Amino acid sequence: MDRRIFVAGTAAAGAVLTAGTAFAQDAYPSRAITLINPFPPGGAADVVGRPLAAVLEPILKQPVVIDTKQGAAGAVGAQVAASAKPDGYTLLVHIVSLSGFAEVDRIYGRPVKFTNDDFIPIARLIADPMVLLVNDQVPYKTLKELVEAAKAKPDSLLFSSSGLHGALHLPMALFNKTADIKMKHLPTNGGGPALTALIGNNAQVLVSSFAAANAQIKAGKARPLASFGAKRDPSHPDVPTLKELGYDIEFYLWVGLFAPKGTPTEIVDRLRGEVKKAVVTEKFESAIKNLGQDVAYLDQADFKKFWDADAKRVEDAVRTIGKI
Amino acid sequence: MGTTIDSLLLGFSVAFQPDVLLYAFLGCLVGTLVGVLPGVGPLAGISILLPVTFGLDATKAIIMLAGIYYGSQYGGSTTSILMRIPGEASSVMTCLDGFAMARKGRAGAALAIAAVGSFVAGTFGIVMLTLLAPPLAAFALRFGPPEYTALLVLGLVFLAYMSSTSLIKTLLMACVGLLLGCVGIDVMSGQFRYAFDLKELADGVGIVPVAVGLFGLGEILSTPSRKVQGEVMQPKFSELMPTREEWRQSAMPIARGSVLGFLVGIVPGSAHIISSFMSYAIERRLSKNPEEFGHGAVAGVAGPESANNAASTGAFVPMLSLGLPTGPITAVLMAALMIHGVSPGPQLVTEHPKVFWGFIASMYVGNLMLLLLNLPLVGLFVSVLRIRYAYLYPIIIMFCIIGVYEVNHSLIDVWIMLIMGVVGYFLRKFDFDPAPLVLGLVIAPIFELSLRQSLVMSGGDYMIFAQRPFSAVLFAISALLLAMSMWSAFSKRKDWRVKLSEAEAGTEAPSQK
Repeated sequence: MDRRIFVAGTAAAGAVLTAGTAFAQDAYPSRAITLINPFPPGGAADVVGRPLAAVLEPILKQPVVIDTKQGAAGAVGAQVAASAKPDGYTLLVHIVSLSGFAEVDRIYGRPVKFTNDDFIPIARLIADPMVLLVNDQVPYKTLKELVEAAKAKPDSLLFSSSGLHGALHLPMALFNKTADIKMKHLPTNGGGPALTALIGNNAQVLVSSFAAANAQIKAGKARPLASFGAKRDPSHPDVPTLKELGYDIEFYLWVGLFAPKGTPTEIVDRLRGEVKKAVVTEKFESAIKNLGQDVAYLDQADFKKFWDADAKRVEDAVRTIGKI
Repeated sequence: MGTTIDSLLLGFSVAFQPDVLLYAFLGCLVGTLVGVLPGVGPLAGISILLPVTFGLDATKAIIMLAGIYYGSQYGGSTTSILMRIPGEASSVMTCLDGFAMARKGRAGAALAIAAVGSFVAGTFGIVMLTLLAPPLAAFALRFGPPEYTALLVLGLVFLAYMSSTSLIKTLLMACVGLLLGCVGIDVMSGQFRYAFDLKELADGVGIVPVAVGLFGLGEILSTPSRKVQGEVMQPKFSELMPTREEWRQSAMPIARGSVLGFLVGIVPGSAHIISSFMSYAIERRLSKNPEEFGHGAVAGVAGPESANNAASTGAFVPMLSLGLPTGPITAVLMAALMIHGVSPGPQLVTEHPKVFWGFIASMYVGNLMLLLLNLPLVGLFVSVLRIRYAYLYPIIIMFCIIGVYEVNHSLIDVWIMLIMGVVGYFLRKFDFDPAPLVLGLVIAPIFELSLRQSLVMSGGDYMIFAQRPFSAVLFAISALLLAMSMWSAFSKRKDWRVKLSEAEAGTEAPSQK
């Protein structure tokens, strides 16, 4: 082949391809959008992501599909999203623990596969404050009693969690550090088993989200001692916050929507606008209400601010746990 | 008792509404399909259909989704029997004797017995659930890590009864399985083990890809190297139903499997897989002709198939009476309830009696539907065997790949299945049985977790296993079983396994054709 023809042909092909891309951008979204859910079905990201997908579909006039890529406590899905083509057709729904993976890898001397910088925050959807629970078989009625008991006999109490460095382990680690107490850690393989361990008195303490523990609190099987929110939870006004009790800790089980780094700003802005519309629809609000939560929407700028502060907390918690 | 009947009547008044019946039927139908397709498990099926239920009320949603779950336990045996591919992880044991029965032309009988056994076990499970849920739930809660460890030790002791090959080969396979089960992230320290820095391997090697690869793909790969009879099996219609003798042989295994499965099922954790392994081992231990197992013993189909169904019902006990999701599937079902504004918890019965009792009643109806759905399908499924291998096998391989991919949406899983297929081919050639390998893989991660959890609880003191009554009893049973096999090793009477080894050393093993 003549070199000149080759160059011309390549240029022409390039022009066509560019035109094609430009056209696709005009029409975004021109095909189905995938929301990656990095947790098992029924997890926090799933139960928020599905109603969001359902209300986004009519707004974007394209199918919004949930793709479950579970594994390694949410790291697999995050990695898939981080390496996806940043064209706005692959988005990620992730939770508070997203900020911890890089730090864990650093502590264990493993190559860091992705950091928070690999994701563009689009919106925060919910933020459920965590709550510190004891089961009904231990006598502690207040946080003070629990702390005193733990101080008197270090490592005599057990707390359960959804797994090492998981969303239920991190806040407990922060609290133990701030209160200067020691408890033993009983990791399980999920939020459900962690709650089962608490109720069956195989563990005595658990930090959980209000939503997951509500039924057990109502039945008197689990006693809430303190909330990790900035303010008292409206549905549990008698539960004091850790800040009131003198511990400067906040921790939320939040769910946010992210795009991979490099996604064009126009597309991100379009998504921000549509998500803003979606979260105030009655369908979405009632779906979240049914979960025992409230929509805690934050747009990009506020979410970024919140996320940066939150990442510091998470990294601090991971370092507190350290290498085991 | 009277109130239970009243409540149940309320439940049936909900369950018999035409639209509720329709959704129960849809759930059972989808469940059967999900069960039949290799790899695609109930978890995938339920999560795919979860959004569909958003428009329904809570009762219909939970009835339909639960139908998928217990329906899949019916369908799981189909491909195990016809093609030696476990449709579900809990149908692995059915591959052994079910497929052997199919080879003998008794595929119809095996399918019918599996369906009837599932029906009996499922119904037994619901009766127990109706009458005894609250006390059983209290029992389930006392089953903490030490008790679970003890249960798994018992499972390991049963390993010796698992396979139709010699004891050495069985234990060798089990060890490979236990080693494979160590792949993945260390739950206590967060270190990666044997994972080659692949995040996909962090949660270990999946059971489904290994089982489908070893059994299904291995079988298919080894077919061309065997002499295949030109004419494919064409069972006559009259041969589809089990004979009176086969019914007689399966009655007790079904009864035992139902009780065992239910008890194992209420234990928190993914115990329904173990229940079918245990049932198989028990049937073989009790059988007068243990050497028949692996070569088409009816009890080897009836027991495990009943056990896995009863276990799937048993798993509802902690979920419904305590609101505790003890495994991944009940977690999705609970999430489905929550999405509809019903928060499952200890007060579910009092706060939402219509949902609770409607759900229970629908399971009675659903099990009957599944029996009526599955028995006529026996004829249809058996005619799959009439398809020539040249057309049938590529289709099966395709379904295996799709199904395995669907579990975690992971290509690594597909590679694992393909590699295991090649491994399975060689195991077949050298007459190793893959079942103990799969059991080892099932047990290793949960055994490790619960053992280490127990030791965290006790501060490293092994006495915790003796102090907790349930675990002490289970350990005593394990010790007794081991002592009994020691006795038979020392006594003059030859064990069936010794006979088997001698037969293998002498002539060709009977399984080779």
